[in-house]
Amino acid sequence: MRVLTRRLARDNWRFSTPVFEIDEAGVGRAVYVAQGPERAYSLVAFAHDLPPEKRSDRVIADAWDATFTLFDGIPSEADLDRLSCNVPLQEAGRISETELSLSRANRSVRLWTHVVEALADGRQPDLEQIQKVGYLMRTTAVYGSGKFGAADRENTANRPETEGPFQAEMLSVFLTRAFVRDLVEHMARANGGSKAVKMAPDIARRLGIGNSTGLGMAPFLINHPVLLNNWIMAREEAIARVRSVQTATQEEISVFRSVFDRSQVSIGQWHSEHPIQERKLSALKADLGVIADFLRHDDLTGRRPWNRLVEWSETVLSEEGQELLLSLILEPYSDLVDGLSGCTADSSPHLYEIDGAMPLADVRQAIRDSFGWVLDLDWGAREACARVWYVSEEKLEPRLGERFDEPVAEYEQPLAPARDAAAAYSAMADWDTAATTAEFLLRHPEHRHTIRRAQISRKAPYSEIRDNTIGASVLPIDMLRAKLSFFGATHFDPRSDRWVRICMYSGAPYPEDLSPENADFWVYPEVPE
Amino acid sequence: MNLSLNEVEGLAKRAARGAGHHWGPAEDAAKATRWLCLQGFDGAAALSAVLRQEFALRFDAHTPRDLGAPWRAHGQMCPLGAGMLLSDCSDHLGRGPIVLYDVAVPLLLLPFAGNAARRLQTNVTVVCDELSATTDGEVVDAPDLWPESATKVIVRIGGTPGKLRAKQTRALPAPAALAFLNTLAQRTYAPATEESRRLGAGAGLSDND
Repeated sequence: MRVLTRRLARDNWRFSTPVFEIDEAGVGRAVYVAQGPERAYSLVAFAHDLPPEKRSDRVIADAWDATFTLFDGIPSEADLDRLSCNVPLQEAGRISETELSLSRANRSVRLWTHVVEALADGRQPDLEQIQKVGYLMRTTAVYGSGKFGAADRENTANRPETEGPFQAEMLSVFLTRAFVRDLVEHMARANGGSKAVKMAPDIARRLGIGNSTGLGMAPFLINHPVLLNNWIMAREEAIARVRSVQTATQEEISVFRSVFDRSQVSIGQWHSEHPIQERKLSALKADLGVIADFLRHDDLTGRRPWNRLVEWSETVLSEEGQELLLSLILEPYSDLVDGLSGCTADSSPHLYEIDGAMPLADVRQAIRDSFGWVLDLDWGAREACARVWYVSEEKLEPRLGERFDEPVAEYEQPLAPARDAAAAYSAMADWDTAATTAEFLLRHPEHRHTIRRAQISRKAPYSEIRDNTIGASVLPIDMLRAKLSFFGATHFDPRSDRWVRICMYSGAPYPEDLSPENADFWVYPEVPE
Repeated sequence: MNLSLNEVEGLAKRAARGAGHHWGPAEDAAKATRWLCLQGFDGAAALSAVLRQEFALRFDAHTPRDLGAPWRAHGQMCPLGAGMLLSDCSDHLGRGPIVLYDVAVPLLLLPFAGNAARRLQTNVTVVCDELSATTDGEVVDAPDLWPESATKVIVRIGGTPGKLRAKQTRALPAPAALAFLNTLAQRTYAPATEESRRLGAGAGLSDND
């Protein structure tokens, strides 16, 4: 998200709303245009009147409060008419090569009603309620990359603004947030007439867009090993650069202290009812006190201060606290780390081609490097392979089933790299280590997907998740969180072990207020005076 | 109906799996189908013609018996099995042409010849009875119409592409091929049950809040 807002501000993008045809019941359409130096993109939004019993964030829903597409350019009236017949249907409709994303959002019913009533009545909404929910609408799926007829990523991957992964989707959510604010004010006017007021800017700024996400993101990470590698590698490289900084200037130290103070505000507003996340949150909140205490006694001068801080954190903080600190030390060093966002796309499609000349000895070594820890695991044990990833017939939704309790094993997706690596490794044991990959695969096509991954891992060392993705104790929400954190999501709130809510763009300026001064650090709320 | 290349690739992968191929070969089938569509062929129809022959049921009988020249299978050669081997053994082309006998749907060899060309950083030519195609992996000079099978195919380094095919950003599969691939893909989906709806995706709390 911050990669996007920095670019929009730096390149002086302009925003307009040429269409806002929404009636008093809140039904209609709107177009939000983002005009960049070379091209324009338009969020086309449809607002609906959704009966409460139909409001579901699940992918099996078939109606929403609002539906959206990001149009490549500025849509004509005919485009809008075509889209109005398809976008509201989401998966059941068809979009085309001029569309880059397809998404939908549902209201947070309690907050929506409260805000509309307050504004209609000429009052500002209650801050506590705003803070508690954090958003007026939450998106569910945001589809891109050729889904449901949309343009392939290759169509836009060479444009500077969409070269980075998910930038089109992030733009669609950024504009969605502006639409939602405008819609709630419109509804307040419709209800309150001349008495109605607009939302105060500082309240509006606190509102983000929620997102409710299910299992689909977990298979995505496994199916895109190079992308995963590039994300992790960019972060590791950024951390390594900052830990190598010899001495910190007073200004750098003060930026760090400021983002630490502000992150405490953000974490203070972070709630979850999920027992695992509650435990992590309370450990993190305790860590904040420990860090604050350390910073009272240490002025961060001296040699390699950030490295010293990180090494200290490893001895006293929970994993949550350590990871937070690693993110915060990057903040004073835009010049060292921001450029790494340009390395996060997967621009190596040919890495997926198998090198048949590679000796099996090298393939076995690659498997040992990524999966050495699973080779001796008893894969026949129930707890090692208790789960099955499969795709349901209904809406083609990825699901996680119980191998020994449900008849789903025959539909298993190839989402257990650890188990499959152990099987391929064992099959290669009887082969001459000088034999080639091509010879082996001619006899063992069943191991082809695993050999491909092993060869990729030689060039992409962070491509494999070091965990058993079908074990009895697997927590898919951990995979979801990893992906969402790279988007810049906050307030991770699991609803179960495989379903989460998060917040996006909370604190960000709205399009019309975006400037180089406020485009970057908005993710950290201001400390109340 | 036109499809994005991503859609055609996803469909091809599921269809190849539904036809009984392992996931790895299904991934290669999908990339090959996408490449053909990118080059303006009906890749879905080519894959569909291969999958109709059910080579996956006895895959080893339809792939080269060994790596020695020429390549023969016990039965008719599956272009997917032969193609993967061609891509894997691209270095063998440096020692001379690879000759394949009795190949089904030889058009499906082209993407794999393209992989070999890219890996060797040269042009590769596929001669199929009277037809020939030359590619460097990125672009291809090839005729539109290809036979259902070929008695002999020669793959060799070299050739100069003349008229390059225009690249496409969408796939326009023949309706019958699209329907057949969808039928096969359907076999990879588990029938939904109320329990899987409830447990499998892990919802439970109300969203109407």
